[in-house]
Amino acid sequence: MLSIVAVCAIFSYTLVFAKRLPKQFSFKEEKALSEWEEKIFKGRVLYVVEDGKLGRYLSAYSKESASGIFYKIKFDPKKEPMVSWKWKVVKFPEKKSMRSESDWIEKDDYAARFYVIFPRLAFNLTKSLEYVWDEDIPEGTVMTSPYFKNIKIIVIESGKKNLGKWVSEERNVYEDYKLAFGRNPGEAGAIAIMTDTDNSLSTAEAHYDEVKVGYKDGE
Amino acid sequence: MIGSPAQTRLLVLIFFAAVVPAGIVTLCLYYLIFNMMAWQIGIPEAVAYNLIPVARKVNLIIAVALPISLVIIWLLALELSHKLLGPIVRLEKDLDERISSKKSGPIKLREKDVLRPIVDKINQLLYKAGP
Repeated sequence: MLSIVAVCAIFSYTLVFAKRLPKQFSFKEEKALSEWEEKIFKGRVLYVVEDGKLGRYLSAYSKESASGIFYKIKFDPKKEPMVSWKWKVVKFPEKKSMRSESDWIEKDDYAARFYVIFPRLAFNLTKSLEYVWDEDIPEGTVMTSPYFKNIKIIVIESGKKNLGKWVSEERNVYEDYKLAFGRNPGEAGAIAIMTDTDNSLSTAEAHYDEVKVGYKDGE
Repeated sequence: MIGSPAQTRLLVLIFFAAVVPAGIVTLCLYYLIFNMMAWQIGIPEAVAYNLIPVARKVNLIIAVALPISLVIIWLLALELSHKLLGPIVRLEKDLDERISSKKSGPIKLREKDVLRPIVDKINQLLYKAGP
């Protein structure tokens, strides 16, 4: 009897609190950021909803800092592999020229990042895909983060040709994960957005909008 | 020193009864604490920068402390097995001496011995059986 009650309670909880897919974030309201969690790494990046010519969007301004906004959402990349968003870089971080391999961590600043996080039972097995817009690194580059081998960085926009312009991105997380890690992904557990300049000790600004998570290709 | 196969069995039983639950609880707490901290930190680079070095230090401490802890638990289990099995061994020795007629009369035990109720009954049997 007790087990039936427990199963019913879990089922009801799932029905009430499960996040429906696809999940969309339009940042059209000032309260839009309230459903995101702020995560601070080094210093605080200013994330605010701003008004533009085409409506509201999320603005991120970083000054020698690194913090992100984080949203927990479960989706199965095998069933709903697509994520999309719009972003605009206003200013790139000023990275110093790389002197040696050990300086690589000093270059780990990006004007705009979009994360998909794949949590595991053991925290050290958690894997992350990071889509970045970098000034110098060629588009299509897949790198391992200088911080940890389970963080893979995919450069999907490069250079200043689109500086100050909105650019739409749509990625197949399933395929990107296989490309980056060489295996099939498990369930995704969170997404995050970050603009950071903590390593280059400079400033950067980027805007984000129309984030959509967990849908089938062509939907 | 291990005196008999029964003590070996009891020693192993006590040792694993202490080590297995402790190991399970430690493992659960280890991952619970680190996983909750990882979720709280959130940003993967921040997790890698702050949490992974701490986990490595904790792992190193566990690697050093675990063998020492196991030896201590083994010694405690040995002591406990002596305490639990000692009265039975003494009782067996007393009974053997009476069977071989080396000794006669009731078996004597300490006042607070755990086997006292059983030994009292054995003494009644010995009394009924006669010399």
